[in-house]
Amino acid sequence: MIESWIAMATVTGTLLRRCSRLSAAAAPLSTSARALGGGGLPTVVERHGNRMVIGYGFNGEPNYIDRVDYPIPAVRFKEDNAQIKVLREKERGDWKKLTKEEVQELYRATFCRSFAEMQAPTGEWKLVLGGTMLACSIAVWIYLFMKVFVYEKLPDTITNPEKVEAQVQRMIDLRMNPVQGIASEWDYEKGQWKN
Amino acid sequence: MIRNAFSRALVAGRAGFLQLAPQSASVAGCRHMSKVAESDEQLTARYVQYFESKDIDHWWLSKHINDLAGTDAVPEPDIIKACLHACRRLNDIAMAVRFMEIVHFKCGNRVKEIYPYVLQEVGPTLKELGIPTPEELGMDKPQLALEDVYDM
Repeated sequence: MIESWIAMATVTGTLLRRCSRLSAAAAPLSTSARALGGGGLPTVVERHGNRMVIGYGFNGEPNYIDRVDYPIPAVRFKEDNAQIKVLREKERGDWKKLTKEEVQELYRATFCRSFAEMQAPTGEWKLVLGGTMLACSIAVWIYLFMKVFVYEKLPDTITNPEKVEAQVQRMIDLRMNPVQGIASEWDYEKGQWKN
Repeated sequence: MIRNAFSRALVAGRAGFLQLAPQSASVAGCRHMSKVAESDEQLTARYVQYFESKDIDHWWLSKHINDLAGTDAVPEPDIIKACLHACRRLNDIAMAVRFMEIVHFKCGNRVKEIYPYVLQEVGPTLKELGIPTPEELGMDKPQLALEDVYDM
């Protein structure tokens, strides 16, 4: 109980913080937003801040998403801060002088996840497998419940061996399914099953 | 009368077929296409030309890289070299590293056969420009985990 209260409070706090951040970021409102009376969320163009727009997004909007089939998103992942700007100046020179950490940092400024991270297993299959098996076991319990409490006993003609035997004998006498079925398996001259 | 007209029509039709036959045999291969199919060499040459053009900018670079990533093929070493040089001209090393990752990804199931060949062909260019491969950066394995947006 207390835990759920804490969780709710955390979610509310996060939402409030996000809203306040959005309203702070939305200082210059777009023309359309102002025409609608101001306020509201910033447009997608305003949200990319001072990130460099590299190209055409996968859906034509300047947004960022990591996709293996469209690997260069429309905008850089991070905004240019002072540290990145220094690195960008250094990037204009010889690339051999850049250390591996600096290259990494430049990469992470433009892209969020590397290909290896995009393709890393999420472990979701465990949840799916567990859920499937849980559903199957519930079905088995339902079957057992029905078997014990709902259905009546199987009829005498199935459970009594004598009656079953008499029924088979009658099927043979009537020559049922003489081509591929039961009568084709019976040898009428010798009066026994064919081998 | 009717029979006469019929047989004449048949004769005319046959003649028409006979005249058309040699033409249609040569056209049949590409009749359903509006353009002639592009050969692999032409495609390579086209992309090399794109990447080598002097007025390439980030917009065109990302467009061509994304187009290449959408094809069902591994880019030829010539294309890769041209692209890396284009990244150098635009001073974007992140794009160059990303492109090598794309090439690695495009090798698909045959990465063990194709990727070493690509590295052997492109290696000198990588050295010349000072571009580290994703493996040298340790990016061939996941480094950072990203929290799922549904878990935030």
